[in-house]
Amino acid sequence: MREVIATVLENIRIAEEVYSLTFAAEEIPVRAGQFCMIGVGAPLRRPFALCKAEGERYTVCYRVKGAGTRALAAVRPKDEISVLMPLGNGFVLQPHEKTVAVVGGGVGVFPLIAAIRAFCGEREVYSFMGFRNRAAVCMQYEMQRSKELVIATDDGSAGYRGTAVQAFMENVGRIRPDAVLACGPLPMLKALKTAVGGRFPVYASLEERMGCGIGACLVCVCNTADGGHARVCKDGPVFDLSKISL
Amino acid sequence: MADLSVTLCGVPLKNPVIPASGTFGFGREFNEIYDISVLGAVATKGLTLAPRSGNPVPRIAESGNVVLNAVGLQNPGVESFLKNDLSWLRSKTRVIANVAGSTVEEYGEICARLDGKTDFIELNISCPNVKCGGMAFGVRPADVERVTRTAKDALKSTPLIVKLSPNVESISAVARAAEAGGADGISLVNTFTGMAIDVERRRPVLANNTGGVSGAGIKPIAVRMVYEASRAVNIPVVGMGGIVCAEDAVEFLLAGATAVQVGTHNFTDALACPKIIEGLSRWCEAHGVEKIGALTGALQCN
Repeated sequence: MREVIATVLENIRIAEEVYSLTFAAEEIPVRAGQFCMIGVGAPLRRPFALCKAEGERYTVCYRVKGAGTRALAAVRPKDEISVLMPLGNGFVLQPHEKTVAVVGGGVGVFPLIAAIRAFCGEREVYSFMGFRNRAAVCMQYEMQRSKELVIATDDGSAGYRGTAVQAFMENVGRIRPDAVLACGPLPMLKALKTAVGGRFPVYASLEERMGCGIGACLVCVCNTADGGHARVCKDGPVFDLSKISL
Repeated sequence: MADLSVTLCGVPLKNPVIPASGTFGFGREFNEIYDISVLGAVATKGLTLAPRSGNPVPRIAESGNVVLNAVGLQNPGVESFLKNDLSWLRSKTRVIANVAGSTVEEYGEICARLDGKTDFIELNISCPNVKCGGMAFGVRPADVERVTRTAKDALKSTPLIVKLSPNVESISAVARAAEAGGADGISLVNTFTGMAIDVERRRPVLANNTGGVSGAGIKPIAVRMVYEASRAVNIPVVGMGGIVCAEDAVEFLLAGATAVQVGTHNFTDALACPKIIEGLSRWCEAHGVEKIGALTGALQCN
């Protein structure tokens, strides 16, 4: 984990209100599912999953939602940004978990891009990615590395009509995954946990408002199944959902 | 090279820069980014007698250039700190154990367990985010004096710093009350109680509804309070509130502080404290200040 001054290479709109920011920094080993905290000129840095890490090039994708992401959308190539990375644990699969389903919704698809890139060569990856509508669909070319890809939209304007979880559950009997990697809004993760019912592990990346991003301030906690707390930034952001109380 | 060392309540510190309680855990995480032995001291996460799980999330919000938090004193308890963290942290730098009780007696009990084991105790009577204890003992001067005396009676060898709340009628009065209760020093300011509202949802952003306001925006108020408090007492003052750079730290020293704490800015810049230490060294050299202690209270009012 390091604080680096990175140079922006590209910051482009890839879907409605969604941007892809690529920056250059020293080469640091990054695991899929790890994230970074980017300074946006406000007191708090903002956490973003690292979608891609290729040598000295790193990419994060984000939806413009508030003042912080609005400021980030305004950065231009050659601008310098302060980045704390890599943070958190990332997705870890057991050796026997060979067939993997990837289930994402909304901005939750972005941490999963890194997982698809990391695991596609060595495992059978089936991806189910949910978006609001056709205009929100992005990064399909990355998702297409999967053995199978189902795009789901809430209004049916592209692909399957319904949620990513519904699309996944229609196919689960056929693909019989050893594990699921997931990220998305809380209702999606709850629906997924209920639908899977503990038949196989679900490793989900959680989202929470953060302070330090490194485990010191205890701001971004989640409840564990044994009644305790875990830090989303340091103990996560990826958790085995059976060990978490959503 | 300017001499940055200071003496706080009789204890020498290599420099006056201390990460503030609650922003730095017990130092291990920041030590992954830089060697925290460069720090003058570390103020630990607030310690309670039993482990505490804290408030529901969200626990943090941003509003303009300030931050609101309502963590609610989540911590593993004083025994866990003594067993798992203290010796490591002491091997790095001076340790200020921040202590938070639910009752006056509990403050005394926690202090008794820490006595002689840390370099300082910082009595947290100013946490705005817990229902029992916390700020409840920090508002009325009589309560401040009583809880300070209880803590002081439990301490044989460790200096006692009382951390004051700014949510009071008179900062001078609570500062004097801490001194009357036997405090060896005071630190201020803790956070100001505030609220941030999500207008779309028409709800407070924080699950706790209200939280403690910190960050750059509170600095002028904090400087004024440090100025007033330091003139009201004859014990050393540790100043904090919105420090983001060496010049900010110098303001607090001039206002009367012997040392300073940096809180929220650790989130903005993980290297905030070492940068401020380096900045202070440069500032002193550029201004012909040989010993940084000469700045304490050197303010000349108009």
